[in-house]
Amino acid sequence: MQLHEKEARMVYSETLCDLIKKNPDIYCLEADLAKATGTFGTVREECPDNFIDTGVQEANLIGVAAGLANEGKRPFAATFSCFASRRVYDQITISVAYAKNNVKIIGTAPGVTQGPNGGTHMCFQDLAIMRAMPNMEVYSPCDAYEIREVTRYLAQTPNPAYMQLLRPVLPAIFDEDYKFTPGKAVRLSQGDQVTLVATGFMTAFAKQAVQELKEEGVSVELLHYPVIKPFDDQALAESVKKTGSCVVVENQNIIGGLGGAVCESLAENYPAPVKRLGVPDAFGEVATEDYLLEKHGFSLGHIKAACIEFAPK
Amino acid sequence: MDEEMIMDKQEFEKRTAKAREIILAAMCKAGSGHVGGAFSLVEIITALYNGIMKVDPQNPRWEDRDRLVLSKGHAGPVLYEALAQRGFFPMEWMDTINQGGTRLPSHADQNQTPGVDMTTGSLGQGLSCACGLALAAKRDHKDHTVFCIIGDGESNEGQNWEAAMFAAQYRLDNLVVICDYNKLQIDGTTHQVMNLDPLPAKWEAFGWEAFEMDGHDLDDINRTIAKAKEVAGKPAIIIANTIKGRGHREYANQAGSHNVKLNPEDADKILAGLEA
Repeated sequence: MQLHEKEARMVYSETLCDLIKKNPDIYCLEADLAKATGTFGTVREECPDNFIDTGVQEANLIGVAAGLANEGKRPFAATFSCFASRRVYDQITISVAYAKNNVKIIGTAPGVTQGPNGGTHMCFQDLAIMRAMPNMEVYSPCDAYEIREVTRYLAQTPNPAYMQLLRPVLPAIFDEDYKFTPGKAVRLSQGDQVTLVATGFMTAFAKQAVQELKEEGVSVELLHYPVIKPFDDQALAESVKKTGSCVVVENQNIIGGLGGAVCESLAENYPAPVKRLGVPDAFGEVATEDYLLEKHGFSLGHIKAACIEFAPK
Repeated sequence: MDEEMIMDKQEFEKRTAKAREIILAAMCKAGSGHVGGAFSLVEIITALYNGIMKVDPQNPRWEDRDRLVLSKGHAGPVLYEALAQRGFFPMEWMDTINQGGTRLPSHADQNQTPGVDMTTGSLGQGLSCACGLALAAKRDHKDHTVFCIIGDGESNEGQNWEAAMFAAQYRLDNLVVICDYNKLQIDGTTHQVMNLDPLPAKWEAFGWEAFEMDGHDLDDINRTIAKAKEVAGKPAIIIANTIKGRGHREYANQAGSHNVKLNPEDADKILAGLEA
């Protein structure tokens, strides 16, 4: 079985399991969602001393992780993205980021991928609020290979970080040769008419849009941002200098996340027209991913239409 | 390292009186301070750092030291005085409390102050962090003790009770919590604002061994902490009966002493209120 044929959560949990076997200072923390994260049958079975389940206690999850990190351990604390960010924002702010305790926070099933759990569980602001926190790096890998690479990378770094983790089988964007470059955007296609920026769940849609637009005669440069903070200003400015405009799409509220980062960066470095695609400042609801992408205007069709609108006629 | 520096009662009383003077003078210089919650802890902190806790002022992060998480982080100055007294940093630093660029902020900060084991200040978080410290010690087969001081007002925070379940579940018998039960919080008495009683029974129901002590009596502090450290298979909490603002005629047993405006020009008058 190739890596991209596995569920993304199993890629994360098997990678974490391997890392713990090599470095017993790495810990896996869960809050009664180990089955959802994929660590239940992996880390819990194979490395029980490094598997800590706090039960349904997200605040305590973060505090225990901070205490372990204070002692030089490298905890990865995972739960649904809604709980891993907004529910414990102060705990992360003080016990982790302000205190500089090296906790990696894994927010699973971001945005519309919470589907059947609906509005209460659908978090569209985690990238925005985690990005606004000093001492916090923010990641949103897009496929199995990148999830593996970013997880391995985070196991080595000394700083707190937040990573969105998708759970199902994902379309392969990369392959076994992929090397994650810290702090850098990845140019997935070269083009000269419009720059398209995406992260996480939406990168596969963006890639599809670029391919279809190419056949329609529109030349799109696609930048994928696995790391939203620190933000790669240079890659964006260089691309937009060439294309003159930017469409950005994310599985988040259009306020403050990747779209916010793009607007801030371009405003200071190379002012240019920007179209933000994502959830237009609304809560989620129970529905399929396709329904929500259509409803909120960031489906494949919307991405293509925005690129066509910005491309010089 | 030199945990054997047990003081006699007379010396202890002199030391704690001096500590209150230094803390209050520093707060006067800063223009304000959490006098009440600092003064209720003077005896406990002085005892911890002069005979109970294994620490090494020359090596604040010594891996075999005992740890203290001052979860009620606003009592920072009482900890700073004890650390300075033990030689972690010069006593002159006390004059810099809350000044721009200080190493001694109002609330405890592990990255600023040598000897501070955990950053605290947002109430309710320290006990979870202390659980992490204790769990790490268990996993590393270390035998040091993790102390955690929580406030009674702070005990309103639900996160404490998450941590209470966790510590029992993971059998963290290397964790000793001290609750500074001075029975006052900002908006009034704990009975008026958010009643905690029966406090020891609550902790026992969560699977802890609970003790009570007079938090101002050296013998009782030493005796009770020694008993708490001996508890096996579960965590221990000591409900320390204390007096908020103890040792000052104006601030003792006053809810208003939580955070007091202190005019630096009135320092002499304010310090004169200290009981001999």
